[in-house]
Amino acid sequence: MSYSKEKVDTLLHNGISRRNFLKGLAASGVLSSFPGGLLEANEDLNTKIPYLGEKSYETFRNACPRNCYDTCSIKTFVKDGVMQFIEGAQESTYTRGGCCVKGNSYVKRVYSARRLKYPMLQVGGKGSGQWKRISWDDAMEIIAKKLLEIKKDDGTMLGAALTKYSGNFGITHYGIEGMFNSIGYTTRLAGTPCWPAGIDAQNLDMGNMWCNDPEEMKDSKFIILWGVNPASNSVHSMKYIYEAKKKGAKVVVIDPVFTEMASKSTQYIQIKTGTDGLLALGMQKIIIDAKLHDQKWLDANSKGFKELKEYLDKDIKLDDVSKVTGIPLEMIKELALSFAKAKPATIWMGYGMQRHTNGGSMIRAIDALVAVTGNVGKYAGGARYGHLSTWGFNYAALSMPKPEGSVGYTGPEGAKGEFAQVGGEKAAYTDRFLNINKTARELLNSKDPKVRLLWVACKNPFAQDFDRNQLIRAFKQLDMVVVADQFFNETAKWADIVLPVATQFEENDVNVSYWHYWLSLNEQAIKPIFEVKSDVQIAALLSKHMNKLEKGSCTFPQSVDTKEMTIKEFNPGIYTQFGIKSWEELKNGPVKAKAVIPYADGKFQTPSGKYEFYSEKALELFGSALPKYLEVRKPYDKFRMTSPHSRWSLHSQFQNLEWMEDVHPEPSVYINPDDAKMKMVNEGDTVAVFNKQGLLRLKAKITDNVQPGTVLMYEQWYNNNIYNVNELVDDTSSDMGAFKTGAPGVALHDTFVNFRKI
Amino acid sequence: MKNKIEENALPLSKRLQMSKTLRDIFTSQDSHALKIAFDALKSKMAISEESLESDFNRYFIGPLSPIADPFSSIYLDNLDQVMSKSTLKVRALYETMGFTFPQQNQIPDDHIGIELDAYYQLLYIEEVKNIDYLRELRHYFLHEHLNLWIPLFIERALACNEEPSTAMVYILTQLKSFLIRETNTQGVPA
Ligand code: SF4
Repeated sequence: MSYSKEKVDTLLHNGISRRNFLKGLAASGVLSSFPGGLLEANEDLNTKIPYLGEKSYETFRNACPRNCYDTCSIKTFVKDGVMQFIEGAQESTYTRGGCCVKGNSYVKRVYSARRLKYPMLQVGGKGSGQWKRISWDDAMEIIAKKLLEIKKDDGTMLGAALTKYSGNFGITHYGIEGMFNSIGYTTRLAGTPCWPAGIDAQNLDMGNMWCNDPEEMKDSKFIILWGVNPASNSVHSMKYIYEAKKKGAKVVVIDPVFTEMASKSTQYIQIKTGTDGLLALGMQKIIIDAKLHDQKWLDANSKGFKELKEYLDKDIKLDDVSKVTGIPLEMIKELALSFAKAKPATIWMGYGMQRHTNGGSMIRAIDALVAVTGNVGKYAGGARYGHLSTWGFNYAALSMPKPEGSVGYTGPEGAKGEFAQVGGEKAAYTDRFLNINKTARELLNSKDPKVRLLWVACKNPFAQDFDRNQLIRAFKQLDMVVVADQFFNETAKWADIVLPVATQFEENDVNVSYWHYWLSLNEQAIKPIFEVKSDVQIAALLSKHMNKLEKGSCTFPQSVDTKEMTIKEFNPGIYTQFGIKSWEELKNGPVKAKAVIPYADGKFQTPSGKYEFYSEKALELFGSALPKYLEVRKPYDKFRMTSPHSRWSLHSQFQNLEWMEDVHPEPSVYINPDDAKMKMVNEGDTVAVFNKQGLLRLKAKITDNVQPGTVLMYEQWYNNNIYNVNELVDDTSSDMGAFKTGAPGVALHDTFVNFRKI
Repeated sequence: MKNKIEENALPLSKRLQMSKTLRDIFTSQDSHALKIAFDALKSKMAISEESLESDFNRYFIGPLSPIADPFSSIYLDNLDQVMSKSTLKVRALYETMGFTFPQQNQIPDDHIGIELDAYYQLLYIEEVKNIDYLRELRHYFLHEHLNLWIPLFIERALACNEEPSTAMVYILTQLKSFLIRETNTQGVPA
C-alpha cells in the first residue's frame, strides 16, 4: 500500500502531527522545488498552525436587497473566507433574528454552481448558444466601442438604452443609472410595472405615499388586509398582526383568492375581482349614514368631504354594491360599522389590487374609507401602501454629470420612476423615456435615433415582461444587448454579452425598505467569486475604456471601491432621521428611524395642504376629482386570470436554485372545482391556457381557494422552462401611474383566458 | 486506438507532460490557450479555436448550465454547490502540502484545473527533484479524492448525447486514461 489513509487523515486533523509534518516539509526542500502553477509554494509556511479549521467565525452586516416588503437585516458568518450561514439580525425588532425561506438559502445562492462566472460573448449570434469567454477588458472595450460608434453616427447617445428594475434595491445600485448618466443623454425604459397606480392615488389624496410603521400594527384594534398576503410575502409583518389579534383586534382579509393570510384571519371576505373600490365606497356610505364618521377630523384636515358625501348619497346604491362585489349586504354593513367603531383601525392595501384598469381609483376609494373614519394620521392607523420616507440618500452613484457637449432628447420630458429622486434644473436636453411596460414595442418602434444597444441590469425582461415573441424580435434587431446578472436566464440567452454580477455579500451597499423603518449596512463579507463584479465596478471599468478610446466621453469614476461609494450615500439628514453620528455605527447592527406618525400634524403635501377627497389634480389628469367607482375592464375571454406572487421566489429570483425546485418544481394553473368539472379537467391533467396573446401548457390543480370564473397562476420563472405567465397578458394600462412615475401601470390582473384539457 | 490503456507506466516525462497538458486545458481562459493545450494532446483533430472553445464552454464553463461542472463538491457534496465540504478538505490538503493558492475563495480549490495543477507539481518534485516527502500525500490525494469524483465527472460529461463534441470526448478519454494509469502503476490500497 502506497499510503495510509489513517495517517493522512490524522495529519489533517491532529495539530501535533500536522505541526511536525510541516516542520519536516520546510526542511525537505519541497517549497523551493515546486515548479509553480496556479498553486504556489507557501514561502511563509506557518509550522505552528496548531489545527486546521479552528479559526472562529468572522461576522458581517448584510441586508436582503430584493424587491420584498421585509428588506431583512442580515448577519453573515464567514470562516476561512467562506460564507457558512446567515441569520436575521437580532438588533432589528422587525427582522427579529429570522429570514424567510428565500433569505435562508443565501449561502446556497451565493455558492450555486449556476452563478454566472465570467464575461462571455455569444459568438454565434443571439440565441445561438455559442459562447466565448472574454476578459473584462475585452468585454468593456467592445461595449465602449459600440457606444462611441453610436455617438459618432447619431451625434447623441440616445441609441443606447437601459432597462433596470428591482433585482437589487441597494442604494449604490443606482450607479447603474449613474453609468448611463455619465455617458450622455440616453434612452431609459422608465416607469414601473409594480405599483404606480397606487402611488398616484396616494399622492392625489395625501400628497405623498407614506405608510405608518408596520410595527405599530400590534396596537391596531381593527386590521383590514386588503388584497395583501403577508403570510406568504411579508412574513415579518405577521408577528404584529398576530399580536393585535391576540389582544382582541379583528383581522379581516378581503381578497378574491383564499390566501394563506385568509386562513389566518378572523374573517375572510371573498370579493369579486376589481370591485374593491365599490365595496370601500359602500362602506363609507354606511358609516356616514350611521354618523360614525369622524366629523371633527374631517373638518380640520380634509377637502371635499361634502362632495364625497353627495356622490355617495346620489350614486352608490347598497344593493348594487352587494351584487357587484358578491358580498351579502349584511356582511358589508357589519364590516363597515365594526371598522368605524374600532380605533385605531388600519387598512393595508396590496399592490395586486391596483394592477387593474381601475386600480388607482380603488386605492383612492380605500384611502377615503380610512380618512372618513378619522384613522389617517393616527398611531396604529393609516391607509398603508408603502413609503419612501427613509430613502433620502445622496444618490451619489446615480448623480453623474453628462460629458461636456452632450446632446440629448428635446421632446417632452417624462418622469424617471419611483425611486429616482434626484432633482436638477431643467436642462436643454433630457434623456429619452420609453414605457417599461411596453418594452418590446417601444424598442421596435424607436426611431430618430433607433435604439441600437440595450443594457439590462437587475431585471429579467423575458421572465417578467410582456409579449415574448415581440421581445425576441426587438432584441434581435439591436446591434448589441448586454445582460448583467448573477445567473443565466432567458434574457441572457438573447444577449450578445453577459456580465457576471456580484451578490450583496460580495460588495458594500446600504439598504432601506419601502415598508418598515430600518436602515441596514451591507458589508462585503466574502471575496467576489470567480470573476463577478459589482454593478458600480462594471460602470467604472466601462468608464476606463471609454476614456481610453475617447478622453472625456464618460464621467463615471474610473475605479471605485464599493465601500467608498456606499459612504458617499450618507448625509446629515439620514444621520438625524436614524439618530446616528456616522455610518460606522451601522456595523453594530441596523438602526430604526425616529418614530413619526405620518400626517399626524395634519400637514398634507397636496395643493390644498389637506387630505383631498376632491382633487383638482385628479380631475385634470384622470378625469375624476372624487374617488368614484370605475368599472373594471370588461372580460374578453371566458375566465379571469390572476397572477400573484409565490412565497418561494421573488419574481424570477431564487426559483432557479436546485432545492427550491424540489419544493416547487413546475408551474400549475389553479382552477375552481366547478370550472374544472365543466371543462372535464382533473387534478394533474395537462391543460392549455390560452387567449388572444398566447398559450401556455401546464398542470391543473383543482381548488376552491379560487373563485369560479377565475384561474390563478403564479408569476414566476421556472428554471429550464420558458413558462412566463405574462405571455398571456397584453399591456393594457391601469388608470393611474403617469403622474408620479412617468408611465401608467399595467392592468396585469385584467387578463382573460380560456382553457382546455390536452 | 490512441487512448488505449497502456500496460506499463509511461516514461516519466510523458506522465508529467500529460498532467501538465490536462491542467493547461482545464485552466485555460481563452480559445488560444485552450487550443495550444489541446494540440499538445496530439489528437491530430482539425478543429478551429472558436469551435473548440465553444464546445469546451458548453461542456464545462457556461454560461448555460454546463454538461459537467468541473468541481469536486458537485459530485461529492451537492449537485448545485461550490465551496462546500469537499472544497475545504482539498484546501486543507493543499495547505498541508505547502501550497498557497492566490485565488483562494475566488476559484473553488477543488476546480479540476487546480487539482491537476497540484497533482502535476507533486509529481514534478518526485520525478524531477527526487523529493519523496509528499509522495504519500499525493497517493492519498489521488485515491481518496481525485478518484472519488473525476470518474463521475467524466461519466457525466460523456453521457451527453445532444451534439457530443469529439474534441471534448477526446480530452475526457485522455483524462480517464491518465487517471487509470496513475492508479494502476502506483497500486491501489488493498
Ligand atoms: S426575500 Fe424578503 S423576507 Fe426573505 S430574506 Fe429577503 S427581505 Fe427577508
